[in-house]
Amino acid sequence: MSFAAIFGGFGDTFIGVIKALLPILVLFIIFQLFFLKLPKKYIYNLMVGTAIAGLGLLLFLQGVHVGFLPAGEAIGKYLGNIESYWLLIPFGFFIGFLTTWTEPAVRVLCDQVEKASASSIRKTTVLVAICVGVAVFVALGMAKIIYGIPLLYIVVPGYIIALLMMWFSDKSFLSIAFDAGGVATGPMAVTFLLAIAVGISSAMEGRDPILHGFGLIALIALAPILSVMTLGFLARIRKRKKEL
Amino acid sequence: MLSYLKNKSLEVLKAMLPLVAVIIIMQFTLLKMPLEQFWQFFAGVIMAISGMILFLVGLEIGILPMGQAIGAELPKRRSFPLLIIVAFLLGFVATIAEPDVIVLTGQIASVTDGEIGANILTFIIGIGIAFFVAMALLRIVFGFRMIYLMAASYLVIIILAFFTPAQFVPVAFDAGGVTTGPMTVPIILALGLGFSSALAGRSAISDGFGLIGLASVGPIIAIMIMGILLY
Repeated sequence: MSFAAIFGGFGDTFIGVIKALLPILVLFIIFQLFFLKLPKKYIYNLMVGTAIAGLGLLLFLQGVHVGFLPAGEAIGKYLGNIESYWLLIPFGFFIGFLTTWTEPAVRVLCDQVEKASASSIRKTTVLVAICVGVAVFVALGMAKIIYGIPLLYIVVPGYIIALLMMWFSDKSFLSIAFDAGGVATGPMAVTFLLAIAVGISSAMEGRDPILHGFGLIALIALAPILSVMTLGFLARIRKRKKEL
Repeated sequence: MLSYLKNKSLEVLKAMLPLVAVIIIMQFTLLKMPLEQFWQFFAGVIMAISGMILFLVGLEIGILPMGQAIGAELPKRRSFPLLIIVAFLLGFVATIAEPDVIVLTGQIASVTDGEIGANILTFIIGIGIAFFVAMALLRIVFGFRMIYLMAASYLVIIILAFFTPAQFVPVAFDAGGVTTGPMTVPIILALGLGFSSALAGRSAISDGFGLIGLASVGPIIAIMIMGILLY
């Protein structure tokens, strides 16, 4: 293992971090000077925190750059060359389920849903619904790469279903559902699944990584919206039954 | 700070370890990458994990309090244009610092050999979010119902999708997914909650939420428009 490989492109990553964090810092300093006027000691603490965040971002991006992206691509290349492509579909289901199950933000959402339903829908139900939702959509994403299905054929019906369900879902579930889109797309899922999908589609003949490799994150974002709305629909039916 | 460190470490490890385990199992059963490459992956994982932990801790004690201080100050000023401008700027600066956004735009730039540049893409994604955050706050002020705004945005997306050049469609939808990360979500939520609690007579719950969903629509529309205009 050479250090040169691990720190390859480090300068670019460094500039990237500066470009990412400088604007928010400038905005805050302007605010501090004109409106906030917080005590110096407090500002000092904030700056220390920002420096820690910057260092972390630097390490994270560099680690992704030399570790996760090449590994994801290697896995993708391997999967793109296997004989029975259909195996990718259960693989996608498994990986989708796993990454969602372990994502902390998903657990927070499950608590929210339980509260919104006045405990008539259990946390575990929500967790399973979201994990299965994401798993199905990642599997669909794999099918999309294998059979060259355009993303629109999956996403447009998905959005139309979401539009229709809006009117039938219990109201307290709606805003939770929309916000839920982001929960399953944590930094890990994004970097890793994206690298795999790009790797597969560049290894497979007749597949363009831009057209077929991207789009997986969009599907992962759509899945929890539909899962939570379905639960909201069920919650409304239950409420009606109770009232009757 | 130590309790943050412990919580965040657990959170990051829980999210990352299963994936790392899958990769390691695949390495020994199927992949068999050259050992050097495997060690490089391993070093990368350790850097990424510790980096993510540090980032989240720094976010909690440094950057989020900045966002909250700005968000809490805004309604006090009672100046409508200032409010919207700052909400716009805050949405923009938070988005371009989002790790997922940086990774995605870098990936897109490398796959297209720089034909779709990372900088311009990040900029457009940031503008898309900023625009929709500002719009979502206007919604709270005017008491528009969330569901109408959301339905209208979805309709716009579906219609635009048919006019956008094919190679921009997956990129646009993916951009919508990555914008809801550890950086943007708390800042936007703080903005929305501070905002609706300052406006009397509107419940924080029903008004503050839904902002994230609306914000993630922004980059989809922005990139589609960019695709239509430029190519």
